[in-house]
Amino acid sequence: MQSLRNREKIAVEALYDMYSSSLYGVISRIVVDTATAEDVLQETFVKIWHSFSGYSAEKGRLFTWMINIARNLAIDKIRSKDFRNQNKNQELENNVTFIDEQTNTVYKPELLGIKELVAMLRPEQKSILDLVYFKGYTHVEAADELGIPLGTIKTRLRMAIQQLRKHFN
Amino acid sequence: MEDLKAYIESGILELYVLGDVTPEEKLQVEEMALKHPAIKAELDEIEQSMEMYAENNAVEPPEHLRSRVLNSLLTNFGDDSTFKDKATETTSNIVTLPSRSSNSSFYQYAFAACLALLLASTIALVTLYNKLQRSNTQLAALQNDKQQFANRVNLMDEQLQVFRDASFKFLKLQATPKAPAGASITIAWSPARKKVMIDLGAMKMPKNDKQHQYQLWALVGNKPVDLGVFDASSDSTAMKQMKSIASADAFAVTLEPRGGSISPTMDEMMVIGKF
Repeated sequence: MQSLRNREKIAVEALYDMYSSSLYGVISRIVVDTATAEDVLQETFVKIWHSFSGYSAEKGRLFTWMINIARNLAIDKIRSKDFRNQNKNQELENNVTFIDEQTNTVYKPELLGIKELVAMLRPEQKSILDLVYFKGYTHVEAADELGIPLGTIKTRLRMAIQQLRKHFN
Repeated sequence: MEDLKAYIESGILELYVLGDVTPEEKLQVEEMALKHPAIKAELDEIEQSMEMYAENNAVEPPEHLRSRVLNSLLTNFGDDSTFKDKATETTSNIVTLPSRSSNSSFYQYAFAACLALLLASTIALVTLYNKLQRSNTQLAALQNDKQQFANRVNLMDEQLQVFRDASFKFLKLQATPKAPAGASITIAWSPARKKVMIDLGAMKMPKNDKQHQYQLWALVGNKPVDLGVFDASSDSTAMKQMKSIASADAFAVTLEPRGGSISPTMDEMMVIGKF
């Protein structure tokens, strides 16, 4: 951490090796296009780098802070005009299942333990958690998308995370 | 303690970790976490599990991306004074996004081209407009000229009719002692057509002033009949048609107050002529 603050080269490399795949997992689910997802990952690290002084350990874990940066950049990207023009024929935001199928084929083979997880989370919990965590939906948008009341969304989110906690501990 | 439990169970902490809270809610959660270790611990656990979940869902980025990202960061180091590594790598490894920059410069050029085109068309438009204005003025002048010529030709035609028409008689009215010597007026009269014309071009009369006008009379059995008034001016060239009369013994011109009189002022008789 200290070396990160001092901005040493070795620190960047360590940071990249530790977190790039987790961050890329989120980014590539939001931004389907590979080249764009790569751009976003690069922008994410640049931003992490530049605003590192703004992170304080008391407020939370480093990863939480980084993944929020990655998610926001990715969402900005797909909502930007440029990107929409490139992808006029793909209705990204309204086609969650389509994107799910697409990305599944990308990440499935590399994942260990994913079957356990799927079995552990109930489908409705997983879909909400993934919408918010991996797709960058706000819980309000997720409620709209799934046609479920806000309160239920919140409860299911919490239950899903409780399940994860049980599992990981 | 009950409150804390309710707060934890409200789900706000999960939303906080997911980055799905308003700035006010964010501040509130952070404040609560500072005050209550229980909330801090809960947050920590949520964060840990989400981190694990992300790890479970991780996707390995392409191999080439590692050096690209690291290089772009190193380039950023180069700008930083705090960079402690050697700066040699930085120059050769600048990662550019060629498509984007060329794209934006294309728009810049396109914009400049549009401006130039707009300017050129505006100039052309103004020039054409001025030309059009000039042409319109010329056209108006030509039409005016043509009208004048047409009028003149009509007038000449009319005058020529007088000379061609055998029923017209010409009579030269000679000066009376009242008028300057040599004063005369030529009139043409057609009893058949009852037309009387004065040849203003051949008239030799002193100019009348603004208060007076010449008046032509026909004498029918010694009774004067008004045939209308006219002015003697140097630039009059035409034949002027006077009031009609079928028979007359003599014609005379007197100088009368402007607008003419009912009966002639005999003292002011200038010229007279008899058939």
